[in-house]
Formats: sequence, structure tokens, C-alpha cells
Amino acid sequence: MARRVNVIGVGMTKFQKPGQSDDYHEMAAQAGHAALKDAGIEYAEVEQAYAGYVYGDSTCGQRAVYDLGLTGIPVFNVNNNCSTGSTALMLGKQAIEGGIAECVFVVGFEKMEKGALGSKFNDRTNPLEHHVNVMNKAQGFTSAPPAAQMFGGAGREYQWRYGTKRETFAKISEKARAHASNNPLALFGQRLTVDEILASDEVFDPLTRYQCCPPTCGAAAAVLCSDEFAKKHGITNAVYIAAQAMATDMSSSFMEDSMIKMVGYDMAQRAAQLVYEKSGIGPKDVDVVELHDCFTANELLTYEALGLCGEGEAEKFIVEKRNTYGGDVVTNPSGGLLSKGHPLGATGLAQCAELVWQLRGQADKRQVQGAKIGLQHNIGLGGAAVVTMYRKD
Amino acid sequence: MSSELRFDGRVAIVTGAGNGLGRSHALLLGSRGCKVVVNDLGGSMHGGGGGDATPAQKVVAEIKAMGGDAVVNADSVEAGDKIVQTAMDTWGRVDIIVNNAGILRDVSFQKMSEEDWDLVYRVHVLGAMRVTKAAWPHMRDAKFGRIVMTASAAGIYGNFGQANYAMAKMGLIGFAQTLALEGKKNNVVVNTIAPIAASRLTETVLPPDILEVLKPEVVSPLVAYLSHESCSDTGGTYEVGGGFMAKIRWERSQGKTFANGRPISIEQVQKAWGEISGFEKTSHPANIAESMQPVLDNAQKKSLGGNELIDCDQALGWQFPTLYSSYDQRDLMLYALSVGAAENPLDPKELPFVYEMSSSGFQGLPSYAATPAVKAIIDAAVAGQQAPGLNYGFERILHGEQYTVLHRPLPPSAKLVHKGKIKEIWDKGKNAVVVIEMKTTDDQGTPLFDNEISMFVRGAGGWGGERGPASDQNAAPERAPDQVIEQKTDPNQALLFRLNGDNNPLHADPNFAKAFGFDKPILHGLCTFGYSVRHAILAMAGGDARLFKSVRARFADTVFPGETIVTELWKEGGKILLRAKVKERDKVVLSNTAIELYDSVPAEKPAPAAKPAAAAAAASAPAAAGAVTSALLVDVIGFYIEKNPELAGQVKTSFQFKLSSPDSAFYIDLKDGKGKAATGELASPDVTLELSDADFIGMATGKLNPQKLYFGGQLKIGGNVMASQKLEFMKKLDGEKLMAQMAAEGRLPAAAPAAPAAAAAPAASGALTSADIFVAIGDYVAKNKDLASQVKTSFQFELTGPDSSYFVDLKSDPGKVAAGKLDAADCTLTLSDSDFLDMTTGKADPQKLYFAGKLKIGGNVMASQKLMFLKKVDPKAAEAAIAAARSAGGGAAKAAAPAAPKAMKAPGIFAALGERLAKEPALAGEIGAKVAFIVDGKEWLVEADQAPAKVHEGTANEAKAIFTISDADLVELCKTGSPRELFQRGKLRVDGEYLLAHRLGIMKGLVA
Repeated sequence: MARRVNVIGVGMTKFQKPGQSDDYHEMAAQAGHAALKDAGIEYAEVEQAYAGYVYGDSTCGQRAVYDLGLTGIPVFNVNNNCSTGSTALMLGKQAIEGGIAECVFVVGFEKMEKGALGSKFNDRTNPLEHHVNVMNKAQGFTSAPPAAQMFGGAGREYQWRYGTKRETFAKISEKARAHASNNPLALFGQRLTVDEILASDEVFDPLTRYQCCPPTCGAAAAVLCSDEFAKKHGITNAVYIAAQAMATDMSSSFMEDSMIKMVGYDMAQRAAQLVYEKSGIGPKDVDVVELHDCFTANELLTYEALGLCGEGEAEKFIVEKRNTYGGDVVTNPSGGLLSKGHPLGATGLAQCAELVWQLRGQADKRQVQGAKIGLQHNIGLGGAAVVTMYRKD
Repeated sequence: MSSELRFDGRVAIVTGAGNGLGRSHALLLGSRGCKVVVNDLGGSMHGGGGGDATPAQKVVAEIKAMGGDAVVNADSVEAGDKIVQTAMDTWGRVDIIVNNAGILRDVSFQKMSEEDWDLVYRVHVLGAMRVTKAAWPHMRDAKFGRIVMTASAAGIYGNFGQANYAMAKMGLIGFAQTLALEGKKNNVVVNTIAPIAASRLTETVLPPDILEVLKPEVVSPLVAYLSHESCSDTGGTYEVGGGFMAKIRWERSQGKTFANGRPISIEQVQKAWGEISGFEKTSHPANIAESMQPVLDNAQKKSLGGNELIDCDQALGWQFPTLYSSYDQRDLMLYALSVGAAENPLDPKELPFVYEMSSSGFQGLPSYAATPAVKAIIDAAVAGQQAPGLNYGFERILHGEQYTVLHRPLPPSAKLVHKGKIKEIWDKGKNAVVVIEMKTTDDQGTPLFDNEISMFVRGAGGWGGERGPASDQNAAPERAPDQVIEQKTDPNQALLFRLNGDNNPLHADPNFAKAFGFDKPILHGLCTFGYSVRHAILAMAGGDARLFKSVRARFADTVFPGETIVTELWKEGGKILLRAKVKERDKVVLSNTAIELYDSVPAEKPAPAAKPAAAAAAASAPAAAGAVTSALLVDVIGFYIEKNPELAGQVKTSFQFKLSSPDSAFYIDLKDGKGKAATGELASPDVTLELSDADFIGMATGKLNPQKLYFGGQLKIGGNVMASQKLEFMKKLDGEKLMAQMAAEGRLPAAAPAAPAAAAAPAASGALTSADIFVAIGDYVAKNKDLASQVKTSFQFELTGPDSSYFVDLKSDPGKVAAGKLDAADCTLTLSDSDFLDMTTGKADPQKLYFAGKLKIGGNVMASQKLMFLKKVDPKAAEAAIAAARSAGGGAAKAAAPAAPKAMKAPGIFAALGERLAKEPALAGEIGAKVAFIVDGKEWLVEADQAPAKVHEGTANEAKAIFTISDADLVELCKTGSPRELFQRGKLRVDGEYLLAHRLGIMKGLVA
């Protein structure tokens, strides 16, 4: 019988543009201190640490947690592209769930460079080889940033199928900015109109610049523990993980010449389905969602992959504002990757932090009233989709 | 705690365990559940007494008090079998032996008795052996044993007054090392400690305050660990004491390896002492095999031989540091004069060697090629850069033979790069021959010439080495020579010749010459050589020095300045045989000499692009640059793959290239085996790359970036796109060097073009071709409509190398520029392709080309002046036109008509669409809305919301959907009738109602 895993402390730094942040270990320590303080425990009580980051030499995780303490505990470095943060979270969760540890610390951080994501190792097979081959077959390869071509191309495929307007994609960014204006930790706090979003430089039709998440530097952390540990520390009624699942690419990702499938639609759908089955909670029960809006097109696709709306209904879901306060469910109250920012390794834990704050009723101006159930979706090309259901009784 | 290391069920023997270290070891083992045989004779530290078991009994009592089990044994270790028997009798097994018992007989060697020596040996070494020997079979049978020997720093490092003890302790280390090897198979682990502890043995040696720190209790944990079943490290020696534990090992200096099979003198050892004894570079041999490795390595090397003057092992293959020099036209002319050229200044045959404005062009005398190479070697020697192992002085050497080969005619001036090595060393018995090879390129890496200089080293032979090739080749035939040329040298000939760079006083200073046994200064051998080669060129090559390929000459005797050189020549087989004599003394001075000629003049290196036009014109070497072709590049790539056989293992990918304009196909298969590049097609390549021939050349010569080509649409990649990144290896390809190498190996055709870098000027715009230039001229003519009425002349261009024909017809209005021939051009211009390029890009003056005979004008010569309009062509406009033509043609412009704008297909398509919708109203019904097209900026409206539907030009404002597409993609849409892919690729932009785009299939077939 798996043990229940509680999230008893979260913390994150303000997300910054590249070049303006502290160094990675300083950001990680800042988020870590905040999470430990939030949990009300000492670092010495942590039995294992999981550190997620994508860009950096090996063992940055140790360097980061050494700023919290030199207690000799196991430290695991985790790299799973954009889903790195939630992958680290999952490993920590499994350690507690399986009875290996009582209390673990999970941190994600990223110090990114300016400009679009690219490949760092060009002397070997690119891990996205299969993905790029699908894209090349479906639409060729242009000089646009590769990730924008992939997700933009998926947007195009969706547009072709359902006739979705450019404005609809832009509306997702408009909503993200509006939500972020209430989040002091977000990178972009100012609102944008649909016209402004559409008028920004075209990156890869239908995506314009304001529909692409920015390279970001930041860190976020969480402290997980068992019920016994929580009890011992007098923590009652913590936010807990009701279910969590990871899915990786399946044959449909590469065999159907579909951009939508290539960017992880089926992975997300499968992970969500597993979570719904394990937790016994369905998409309609969810109050608040943090999902992986690296590009507006992916948020739109993810609504359907997670079952927040029916297939082909995303445009309606957006236009009718069912994706924000007063609608069916509030998506990305934090501002999401688009506005809060996307430091690759930190994102999965920043999503976790936002949901914990929301479920505890600590989200200030962006609080989703009466939120008790939160859903997290974090995806990385290459690929992995991690879906997590949080709950507070 | 479960992690405590226990010895439950184990039986240990600790010798000398009544006191000190042994007692401490026994107590620690006993405290952890080990059964212990506490052996002690009970004597004093000096070994007297005996029989007093009290200390051992005390230890046993202590172990038992801790709840352990132990027995006393009071036998001498020399009766080791009895000690082991105690263990067997009591517990039926023995697992651990700590050979600890010891004795001291410290005394200076001077006073040491044999008894002192023997006693120490018997207790430490013989005792340890006997105990171990008795236990060994039990341990082997049980497949478990842990043995610890007790050595000492005194043994490892030596200690004053302990010669006997040091001997014994070091003996134990060797003993243990071998037991470790022999016991390994049966899990019998043998280690040695070199402890330092306050014990009865050390009380006498160390001051009390230090003894305090050196408690036995801080040594025993290491002994216990080495005795534990969890420790499988064997054969180690550990220093331990005072809280410090460390393993020690052997360190060996890098050492010196002397050539195998050669005597080694004491002096050589002295000379190499730094290497033998220095620890700057070291290794740590851990076993016999590693110890032997340098010996075995050396045993496999066979010495090439040598003696004190010549060490072939060191010298053979030694490469000179790269040497640099240069020459200019003046140097060539001075050389020519110094070897007797143009003695008759009115002889037109010899003027080209000494006069830059000669009507038939300047030519460098090819024998000059030997001069800079020899000078480079002399300069290197003077600068102390000489091959190691050649230990003779200048006084022993004579220039014996000279071999010079030219890859192309000497440029009028060049910066030279010489790369040399010691190529051969022959043992001619009494004497030796050392052959230096010197390969010379220009500073662009283009191979110019190679030399082999054979030095005859007097008295340096006789080591029994190889004699080398027979020396009678190229002997002069018996029959009378086919040609004979006689020429008298001047009495001051050597003074003139030395200005070429050989400043040896032997050729100038009468006293110096006398000291060497000559009546007067002698002529340089290379001067005689220059005379005779020149004679051969005049007599056998029609005076055309460019046909010269190679000469191999032997210097047989000296010539004195003022003597007459008689050059006898025979045409024999494919070569010219030559013998030179001094007429006055009838002595052969050049023997066994042969000259080879090329059948036709090899391609010369073009003048560097940066050269000012005037200078280029003055340098009248014909600039017949062969263009780099894709076929040649495939050869080069193939050559590179051949030379880098590991490449296939790294790249593991096959690439198919399909080139267009002109079309060709080749592949680079690095999937398996050794890899291959060849023309043709692979059955199933991993990646297919389609691009124009010109773009491929640009890419392969590093001028064009494959990624940019790809994103610019000039390079199409099929198959595994990511694998195309592996083409990176092509960046490492040094085309010039490879071609130089290929030329050297005779892998390039004789008329091979120059290296890519040299040929591909101007770099900025990729390889500009004459076709490009005509596109630019066509563009200019099209833009300047009044030109034809002004010029009123038709020009025919006949270009050579590669051959092509173009005309510029400004006789008719409008003017026309195209490939091909006019029926009756006013004026025909014949010149080489590269001169045409130079002329039209301002690098060469047409007038100078004309006067240099490189531009031939037929028909109305004066009309050619009207070509001056070419000077007005705006280079930027030309570039734009070329770029436009290239992108349209997918590469370098094809020979093309004036770049008139291509007619749009859209008007025809929409007219046809109008007709189709009128005929089939149902089709219009499928759309059922007003839609608009914007094609390259022009707008069409399709009013399909009414019957009959109408198609016409008009603004798109009122349309429900607007389709933005290029004319070319519109054609594509009409061909395929499939808008989806165009949309996904971003070639079809949709505004408004996207789903209306699904209906665009109605366009299918609207173009033929």
C-alpha cells in the first residue's frame, strides 16, 4: 500500500530575464530556504534531495543544496527537458511513497541564455531526432526557433482541422498576462491586448512573439513528507498529491506525421487519464490548473488533452472565457510559462508552488475561491509529460 | 549496529602476541568474536629467556574476560607447524595469521656477527615462512585465508645499525607479494604492514614523548581490517602508526630506452642520467608484466642501424621545422643569367628567361627550383636545426645527387613553404648517403616543386645497413648523343652564381679553396646542373621551360669557372638522358642524369586575386585557372575518407547528393566499412541532399554555410534531417592540403586545377562564373534600353578553359545577351574564361590582355572599344541580378537570356478558374463565399457566393477568406490540388475563415 505524500512547504524566486538573475545556486538556495521556512522544518531533517535543471554541468544539484546545508544526504540530479521540475518532484514523491524516506527536498532551477532554445551538443545524435523528422516531413524546417516551429506547426494543424482564428490563440496570451498582473513573482506583469499580441513580430504563424514563453532564470522548491513525518511536526491538513503519472512518447508521436501528436498530445492525454483513474477525480472536479503553456498553441491543445473541454471545442472554451475566473476552471492563475516565465528546470516546481498556495487559500489577488483540487501538467519534448493531482481536504 | 565488522567463527594466530603490537592485534580480534592463538615465547625483546608464558596467558585471560575465546601457544615461530597445530587441535581450523613475532640485534654492520644476521633472519623470515607454510594447505582447502606480514620502514628505506633487520623486513615484503599472487585463486589474501609503534622493539629507538603517540592500539585496526573477509585487496604494503595509515607502491621514472641491438656506451648512460633517474614523468608498475613492459616494447623495435656519425633510428624520418622563403621575378632572371642564359641577347629563345616583357611571356628556368630548397636546408643547418643522429660536420659531405620535380611551371614570384624530412639513409660501405626530401608549396598550399638532395657523407658508412638502389641507372648510352650543346662559362661564373644564395667561400675565396685542396674556387655543382638543364630545355623541349617535369642528376666532378661545359643529350624511352663533361679536361661532371618532360603544360597557379590589375597584367603568366568542379571535390572527399578510415565508425551515415545545373549524383557512404565517396546513387541512403552544383562547390569549399542554404531553400534535405548535421566532418577537410597530398601521390590528373581556395575568387559572392557575368550584362542591357542604339555592335565571346560561347547583341533593338553564337558578329573576342572574369571584374585591363596576346579579337577590332560600356555596369546591380538569377535557377546562373521578369502564371490561372466555375456552378457552391487571393502582391477576388460565380482582379476587403500565396506556390496548388501541405509549410497564408481553405482543391489542374 503506497503511502500518502504531502507537500508541506513550497517556495520560489521572482522569475527574471537572462542576465538579470543571481547564479543558479543562489536562486536555488533562496527558493529552498523559502520552502523549508514554509514547511517549518530544518534542512537537517531532509533525508534526500532531488535537483532538476537542464543547462549546466553535472552535479549542479549538489552545489545548489550545499548552500542549504552539508548534511551528506543523497542528492540526485534530474534532467528531463522542460518537464525536469515535475520529474524531480515525481522521484521525491516515489521515495516517500515507497517508504524509502520520510522527508525529501525537491528543487528546480535554471539559468538560461538569451534567445531561443537550441542544441548544445552537435557532435552526436540529437535526442529530438525523431521529432524533427516528423516535422520535416510534415512542414519542412525554417529558420524560426525550432520549438516555435514545432508547437506553431501543431497550432497550424489544429487550425486547418477546426478553422481556429489567430485571435483565439492570442486570447490565451491576453489571459496569461491578466493573471500574471496579480503575481508579483512573474516575469511579465503588464497586461497586453489581443491587438498588441497579434501585432508583435510573427515567429511562426499563428504564433507571434507575445505567444512564446520567454527564456527565464529562476528557481522553485518543495518539501515533501509522509503522513507520519507531518504528524510528528504537528502539520495537519497539508496539501497532498492525490495521484501523479508520467508518460513518454508512443508510436503515435512519430508514426502519424502529425505535429499535434509529435508535440506530446497523446503523452499528456495518457498521463492525465492515469491520474484521473488513480485519484478518482475527473477533469470536471478540478478547480484550478497549472498547465504547460510554452506557446499559446500548446495551451489550446492541452485543454483538450486534459479533457478540460471536448475535442475541437478549445476555441469555444477560450472565447467563452471558461478558462479563467468565473469560468469552468481557472487555467494558469500564476500567469503560466507565457507570463510568469519558463526557467526549464524550475517550471514544474513553480507550478506545484502555485497550486499549493491556491489550495491553501494563500494566493492573494489571484486566489481561486474555494479551490480544493488542483491539476498540474508539465511537458518536455523528447519527451515526457507529467500530470499531478493535488488536493486539500 | 549491524555494520560492525565481526570475526565470529574465525580462528587467528598472532605470533609474538604477549606484548606490544601482537597483544594489541590479538585483543582487537578477540573482542570481535575471533578465536585467537596467542603465541609468545615470553622472552625479552632481545630473544633471551623463554618458557615464561605469563604475558601470553594474560592476553588470553583478557580475551576471555571480554567473552572471547583464546589459547596460549608458547612455541618458537621456527616451530611454526606446532603453532598451527594448536589452532587445529583446539578449533579445527585456521583463518588468519598475523606474523608479528620479531627480534632485534641492532649493531653496526662493521660489528655485526653472522649469528646476529642469522638469528634475525630465522625469527622474522624463517619463522613467518614456517607458520605460514603449515597453515597454507588448510587455507587453500577452506578457500579462505588472511595473512598479514609485519615489515618495517627500516627495511623499505634502510636504517642505521639495522642491516640484519632491514634485510629480514624487506624479505617479508617480497615473500608476501608472491604469496598474494599464489593465494589469490583460493581467496588467500596476503598483505604487509610497516608499522611504527611503541613496542618492546622500538623502545630503544625512539624518544619517550613520541612513543606516547605511537600506541599499538592505533595500528591494530588496519591489521584487523586486512584480516577481515570483507577485505579482498591483496599484495599491498601499508605504512601505519600514530593514527596514520597509507598504502605505498613503487614509482618508476620514465627512464631511457636505448636502441635495441646496439651497443650502449657508459657515456650514453651518463648522458641519459637525467632521464634514468629523474622523476618528472613516472609510472607505477604493480606487477612483473608492467615492470617488463618497457623492455618488451623495446625488444619489438629493431634498430635501423648506424654508428657514431649517423644514427638511423634518430635521423630517419625526422622532419625539418617548416621553412619559409620567397623569390621574385628578379631572382629568376638573375638565376637564368648565372647559368648562362641569353648569352646571345638577340636570341628570342632565351629572352623569356631574363626579360619580363618578352613577347612570348616570361618563363622561370625550372632548375631554379633546386636552389631555394638547398638554401633552406643550409639555412636550417646554420640555425642549428639539424636532424638528431646526424653527427657529422660539413667537411664530410658532398652534394651527390639532385632530384627536382616541378608540379607546375614556376610562378614569376612566390612565397615558398618548405617541408622536409630525412627520407633515406644508405650504407654504401665506406661512405653513407643521406637523402633529404623537401616538398615546396606556395603560401596557399599549392604544390610547386619537390626536391631530393642526396648527401654523400664520406667515411660515415659501414654499419652493415642497406646499400640502397643501384647507382648505375640513367647511364649514358653507348651511341652518339642526339644533341650536344657546348657552352663556355665565364671565369667569374661562380661569383655570379653565389648571388643565388649559396655563400660557401669555397666558390669565392681563393685561400679557402686552396685549404680544401683546389687550385682556385670551384663552380657550384648546381650551376653546372643549371647549365645542363637549360641546354636540355633548349635542345629537347623547344625552349619551352613550362614543359619541364623533373631532373635527376649525379654530380661526378667539379668544374672550374671559365671551363667549357659540354652537355650531351639522348632521347631514350620516355625520357632524356644527359651527360655533362668539361671539355678542357674531358672529365664527366654530371653523370647518370635523366630529365622528364610533360606532354603538355600543366596548369599554372593563377595570380592571386588581391593583386592589383596592373600588376596582374604585367605578370604575364597565363592565368588559366581551372575551375573547381564538383567531380574533383568528390575525389577529394573520397581521398579524405581513405586517409581517415576511422571516419565511417564515427559518422555512421550515408549521404546521397543530387546536384543540379549541371545535374549529377554522388554519394558519401560512411555507414560501414571504410567509407566511400563516389558518383552514382545509393539504394537507400540515410539522408538525401539536393542542391545546385555551384552551391555544393561553395559548401564544400567552406564558402557557403549549409544551414543557411537549407533555410534559404537552396538545399533540400530528405530522409533523416538530423543526420545531415553529421556532414560537419566536411568542415575539417582542408581542400588545399588534400589536393597537395593527392598531387604528391600522383592521384590528380596532370592538368589538375589549382587548389580550391585559389581558384574560387572572388570569395564574397561564391564562385562567380562567366555565366553569372553574362546575366549581369543582360540585366544591364535590359535596364538601359537606349544602349543598343548607342553601341550598335554585336559581340561574340569565345571563352576557353572551360569552353563556352556567349553573344552580346546590341545591333538589334532591344539588345540581347545569351549563350550561343551569332551568325555574323561584328567582332569576336577569344580569351580564357578566367581572363574574361578578371576583365569584367576589373582585375585585368582588356587592352593589356590584348597586347599580352591573351585576348584575340577577330573581325572589327575597333568595335571592341565599344565594350567600354561594360565599365559602367554597376557592380551592386550586377550582384543583385546574379543573385536573382541564382535563386531562380537554384544555383549559379545558367547561361541565360537577359533576366527579364518571369511572366506570372496567376492571371492565366484565375481566368481558367473563372471559366471552370462558370461551367460547373456546383464547384462554386462548394465555396459559397467571396474569397480573395493575394499573389505576389496582386489581388484577385473569387465571388463564389453568387451564380454565376465571378473571378476578377479586385481588392480583397470584402472577402470571407483571403489566401496569400506566391505565384510559384499557386502553380503548385493547381498541380496538386492539395492546399493542406502548403498551409502547413507556411506557403499558403489564410486570413478569415480558415475552413474555406479546404475547398481550394477546386484549383486542381488549372495549369498544364
